[in-house]
Amino acid sequence: MFAVTGGIAVLAFLLPAPRGPVVLYAAVLALSLVVGEGRSALRAIRVCLPLWILLALLLGLSPGGERQWIGPLSLSRGGLAAALAQGARLGAVATVSLALFAGFDPSRFLDAVAERGWSFHAGYLLVATLQAVPRFRHRAAMILEAQRARGLRFRGSPLRRARALVPLTLPLVLGMLSEVDDRAMALETRGVDARVPRTSLRSPPDSLPDRIIRWAMPVLVLAALVWRLAG
Amino acid sequence: MSPRLLALVPSAVAINLAIGFIVNQVGLPLYLDSVGTVLTSALAGPLPGLITGLVSQSVRSLYEGFIWLPFGAVQALIALLAALAARRGGFRTVPLAAGWGMGVGLAAGALSALISFFVFKGVTATGVTAVTLALTRLGLSTAQAVTAASLGTDVLDKTIVFSLVGITLRALPQRVLGRYEWARRALGR
Repeated sequence: MFAVTGGIAVLAFLLPAPRGPVVLYAAVLALSLVVGEGRSALRAIRVCLPLWILLALLLGLSPGGERQWIGPLSLSRGGLAAALAQGARLGAVATVSLALFAGFDPSRFLDAVAERGWSFHAGYLLVATLQAVPRFRHRAAMILEAQRARGLRFRGSPLRRARALVPLTLPLVLGMLSEVDDRAMALETRGVDARVPRTSLRSPPDSLPDRIIRWAMPVLVLAALVWRLAG
Repeated sequence: MSPRLLALVPSAVAINLAIGFIVNQVGLPLYLDSVGTVLTSALAGPLPGLITGLVSQSVRSLYEGFIWLPFGAVQALIALLAALAARRGGFRTVPLAAGWGMGVGLAAGALSALISFFVFKGVTATGVTAVTLALTRLGLSTAQAVTAASLGTDVLDKTIVFSLVGITLRALPQRVLGRYEWARRALGR
């Protein structure tokens, strides 16, 4: 999935605009429906929708060039084509990366990292971060509620809101630093510094389709690059 | 990487992402998504700060789609400049930290404008793009509007981020400061 995501991100910017990115986005949408990731495609549309509108406004309203009337607006045709290409690029990249996130299994990823002998530290950083983010978001919400209960007011003028940032963020950051001590000790106890190769209890399967996709994506990107350079 | 740094970096990344929730609740038009990066650089130096910034942008991209990944370069720049500030004792006082924040905001804003213009055609976060759009209606070219909007938001944002980190470092007990080799130098002690 990482290979597919990386490959599509590169292809989105490599294929000639506006047709290339639009066809790529259509293919990504179709693929996401086929593999049952329609929800990721919908989430990506929600992420991209405001950007699509702003792209159409910013690039479409740019002066000069041939004009096209849409309702009361006189829009630049070149600007609209650029907005379409850029919107399709963003849509393709967002869809495939959200599908990657939806199918990402942290423990399977760590097993695969150990199995291949890759750096445990890099794998741990990613997985520990993904686990820490919801915990800290929850803690931030608790601090917010606690400070509100103590009478902290963070509505009103921008200055008052900015002042409220200190009592809201300081407990979060200080709590984080005290937690780091405990975690560091736990990691040390579990031999994270050990120089011997780590092993996994369950080796994740690496099927033939997985291997084909892993090899096919770089080949596809290279072919697109050669095609662009030759054309 | 030592166990302490291996524990610090994921938490600092989580801080980068969790503070966004606080900012949303407070209703300020800021990001403050580099507090963890600046703090890590000030406590542990440029490399851990750089890793925090890059992991932060990668994880954020996982949640919101990889479209924001190119802004990892801005996080990297902030980490390196924050380490420079720490090395020169830039967090000695809160006003000094705010001054460094302004400088870093200018540099980060300039890089951010380049990425916004060349990779995203000027359309990035909704708030900044709304400012860009308003500036183009005032007669500025797209490039000028993107630069002005990025510089304006980044200077304000990084000034507040550096001030918050300055306040945090000064609030840390000596026992905690002693565990990070860059912390005392950052505070000019």
